[in-house]
Amino acid sequence: MKKYIAAMVLLIVFLVIFVPLASSNPDGLEKVAQNFGANEQETMWTGLITDYSIPFIHNSYVSTLLAGIFGTTMVLIFAFLLGKILVPKKQSGKTP
Amino acid sequence: MHIPDGLIANNMGFSTAIIMWIISVSILALSWRRAKSTYTRSITALLAISSAFVFAAQMINFPIIFGTSGHLVGGTFLAVLLGPYAAMLSMTIVLSMQALFFGDGGIVAFGMNLFNMAIIGGLSFYLIKLLTRKSNSDKWFASSVFISSWASVMIGATIASFEVAPAFSGGIAVTLPAMLFFHAIIGLGEGAITTLLVTSVQRFNPAIMGGLTLLKERRNL
Repeated sequence: MKKYIAAMVLLIVFLVIFVPLASSNPDGLEKVAQNFGANEQETMWTGLITDYSIPFIHNSYVSTLLAGIFGTTMVLIFAFLLGKILVPKKQSGKTP
Repeated sequence: MHIPDGLIANNMGFSTAIIMWIISVSILALSWRRAKSTYTRSITALLAISSAFVFAAQMINFPIIFGTSGHLVGGTFLAVLLGPYAAMLSMTIVLSMQALFFGDGGIVAFGMNLFNMAIIGGLSFYLIKLLTRKSNSDKWFASSVFISSWASVMIGATIASFEVAPAFSGGIAVTLPAMLFFHAIIGLGEGAITTLLVTSVQRFNPAIMGGLTLLKERRNL
């Protein structure tokens, strides 16, 4: 448990530092779509926290940061569960 | 490189999306089985923490040229840490969270994104394996990691160009050169960051490099 908390703390520090430095320019694919006039379709699902910004938090740094922390935590939890299912305890030698 | 559902146009685009769903899920099912038989020790902590890191790192876009940006995909990084199969599964979790919660990459297009990033990322493991077959020096290993991560971005971008082509009136003749142009540069960022991460892990804590162990053991993967 300790190492997961330590990892989360480090990842939060990472996000606190790097989120404001991140470029908001379109990425390669978005740029290609803009430049060459892609025929964009309606989308049915845009996510709960569209584009990494929590709707009711107006400070964009805080909004993106919290979205990032939420996403990072969710990935940690699901990947942890995946690891538990992937290598059952009896095979795992000593438990960490 | 996350394809949004907005770029899945007409019957051609839609059928391609369905086919990519089927291909990706089949490959992931296979990699699930291989992963189950590959690891003899628990990889839970490494899997959880490295996946979480890749999610966080993917949020940080770095600027390239012409007002465009890119970010780490991290497939090659995960492949070196975890081996090809667990890397694919790890990236699947990252991509699922992005699509479900943040609308980053579509749902219809999810099979495409799985293929372009999770599967190609995991497969880049074999390129490293191929490149390091003759020489085991640390320097050449680092170069191989750089080349393979760059290549994984370029291959992903090539396939993505075909997948989104139906949404462009110019088709593949427009998307392929433009995607390759931007991703050749974004890939340099991928290569630099991945090499930095891998060499740091190698120096700091080589014991956790499960994928590297698999590489060195020359096991029949």
